[in-house]
Amino acid sequence: MFGKRKHSLTESEMIENAKRDHRHFSPLYELHFDKIYRFVFKKLGGNEAMAGDLAQLTFMKAMANIGKYEDRGVPFTAWLFRIALNEVNMHFRKQKNNYMVEINDRQLLSLFEEDDVPQMDDADKEQLVALLNSLDDDQVELIDMRFFQGMSFKEIADILEISEANAKMRMYRLLEKLKLKWKNEL
Amino acid sequence: MRRTFKYNKQAKSNEPTKEQIARYKDFASISHRYERIAKRPKKPLYRDPKLFLLLVLLGIIFLLIFLEEKS
Repeated sequence: MFGKRKHSLTESEMIENAKRDHRHFSPLYELHFDKIYRFVFKKLGGNEAMAGDLAQLTFMKAMANIGKYEDRGVPFTAWLFRIALNEVNMHFRKQKNNYMVEINDRQLLSLFEEDDVPQMDDADKEQLVALLNSLDDDQVELIDMRFFQGMSFKEIADILEISEANAKMRMYRLLEKLKLKWKNEL
Repeated sequence: MRRTFKYNKQAKSNEPTKEQIARYKDFASISHRYERIAKRPKKPLYRDPKLFLLLVLLGIIFLLIFLEEKS
């Protein structure tokens, strides 16, 4: 009856604890590791070991910089995703050759989210992939987050530090541009 | 360099399994690595201006003692 009441920490309490002592970063790590690993794994096209290294590096950086973290009303995960994104991009830049990621039909067809999926043969699909490869890094990032990572516009907006409406607008314009280019090339 | 995509009809699903995630989830190892990095002195001793002066001073003292004994 008078036993200690079990108190589970809120995320902001965990962050404050981690700021005081890095060893208290553990609950945040346990809470978010799976999401970050999954994100990096997908970005690397399923390179399990490298995804493990980069996810660990992400948490090392987060642990080292937690003192600088400020709660601006954006989820803590957005901050972690930003660090992970930087680490992954840095990894790609360090490579001597372009880093090749294979995409299958399901991923490719997800680009036609709400539209009717057109009939495509393999050559058309390769054409579409070539168009994807011709996009800027920022544009590819947007497509990757939305269609290959399956993130919501809110999550994308939080990571890119833009409004949700802006994220939707950018995506809409990008898809329009992509589809127009693709139709012209068919 | 950058990431590029390649179409492969047979490409596997891009979702890690629970076992794969568990294999790399290890807070103890990053905590240990972090402590090793955080505890390492940021500057080597000879790059610290005060310590560098002290080393120079000690060098001069030993040189003077050596020269004195020689003469």
